[in-house]
Amino acid sequence: MTAHYWWIIHKDLVSEFRARRVWPAMLLLGIVVALVFSMQMDLLPHQKQRIVGGLLWLAVFFAGMTAVDRSFAAEHEDGCWQGLKMLPLSTSTLFLAKLTVNLLALWALQILLVPLFFGLSELPLLAHAREMLLISALASPGMAAVGSLVSALAAGSGRSGSLLVLVVLPLLIPLVLAAAECTRLAVQGQIDGTWWRWIQLLGAFDIIFVTAGLLLFEYAIED
Amino acid sequence: MNDSEFAIETHGLSKEYADRVVLRQIDLALAGSQIVCLMGGNGAGKTTLLGCLASLVRPTAGEVRWFGRPTAIPSARRWIGMVAHESRLYPQLTLRENLVFSGRMYGIDQPLAAANRWLAEVHMSEHANRFPMHVSRGMRQRIALARGLLHEPRILLLDEPFAGLDDAGTIWLTQRLRGLRDAGLLICLTTHDAAKATELTDRTCVLRYGRLCQVSQCDEADAMQQGRQARVA
Repeated sequence: MTAHYWWIIHKDLVSEFRARRVWPAMLLLGIVVALVFSMQMDLLPHQKQRIVGGLLWLAVFFAGMTAVDRSFAAEHEDGCWQGLKMLPLSTSTLFLAKLTVNLLALWALQILLVPLFFGLSELPLLAHAREMLLISALASPGMAAVGSLVSALAAGSGRSGSLLVLVVLPLLIPLVLAAAECTRLAVQGQIDGTWWRWIQLLGAFDIIFVTAGLLLFEYAIED
Repeated sequence: MNDSEFAIETHGLSKEYADRVVLRQIDLALAGSQIVCLMGGNGAGKTTLLGCLASLVRPTAGEVRWFGRPTAIPSARRWIGMVAHESRLYPQLTLRENLVFSGRMYGIDQPLAAANRWLAEVHMSEHANRFPMHVSRGMRQRIALARGLLHEPRILLLDEPFAGLDDAGTIWLTQRLRGLRDAGLLICLTTHDAAKATELTDRTCVLRYGRLCQVSQCDEADAMQQGRQARVA
């Protein structure tokens, strides 16, 4: 299982590195959203602290979904998906491999967007680096899990793109809200019991969404 | 490995989609060392049946067994090789990399050496570093066949394997399939070409409206007749 897992990730990353058709679009969209938000934020510093978390995670969500959406759409070119389904590997291995590739895309996006948002909002990133690392580490797996599951479903039905965002957004609202609230509390310096409860909620979402993905993926990829 | 004398068995195999029944109560038992042709008109259910035999399509009712074992076991898929109408090659990987990826997925020792060996077998060594979109359909078909055979399956399924091949490619593929049959493989293919079925296959199954109408050890006249019926269906 482990070897299959790594070789599928390797294949997907090599394909993306050569084609460069998903990650550049995702990063560009993230930058555009960040710049548009920042141009509208003619606010005082304490007001920026209140809204930067929500804007950051909305930008991550919308830009990230462009990459997540393509993770399965690309497999459907020239019947590759059918070939993958014939291989002697479990559906859970396939799901975890796709989830990991999407997770790497989301983290790459956040490496770009978090400093950009903090810079444009004139907030000190280094003062909150540890908290932001923890929020990023916990918010992304759940997002990648739901995105991977729905993307597989959407690609199979030939309705990638529109269907993905429509289905994923309602499912991820609690997670995006939790990530935004964690970020707001972190930039306001309120690392207390409330902040930890939001962090625990992010962790709980990860467990729920990854488990649901492992259980449902087999049905999502059925023709 | 063999729990059954038959490489493929189906019992009461049916497949329905929301608005139509594609396969109805198919019962088949196919032993190894033969070439079996699935024939039938458009919409007769050939490709769906092939998909069920490959475990790609989940039947609504009934079951498929490979060597007496259920197809739900992932490791049992090692016994199956498939060459579909599409090449199923990753466009961003070279032909060699496609074979190596497949070899790794099947847990083959030294997948690079195996890929190189099969590239030579299908006379594609000099094109190994090219991408699928940069070679002809016939060349992609050769690589697809190499990928289907790389892990030494016991059953080979082919969906319209001669479509788009030139004369040289057709002769080459015919010879390869005969060689594989003689090596003990069960080869199951779909075709519309009655003449090709006559020339190549040991047994013909004719599908009509999702039902298996005829299964026969066929001589030339039989196959031609079945081909005509299939076209009418």
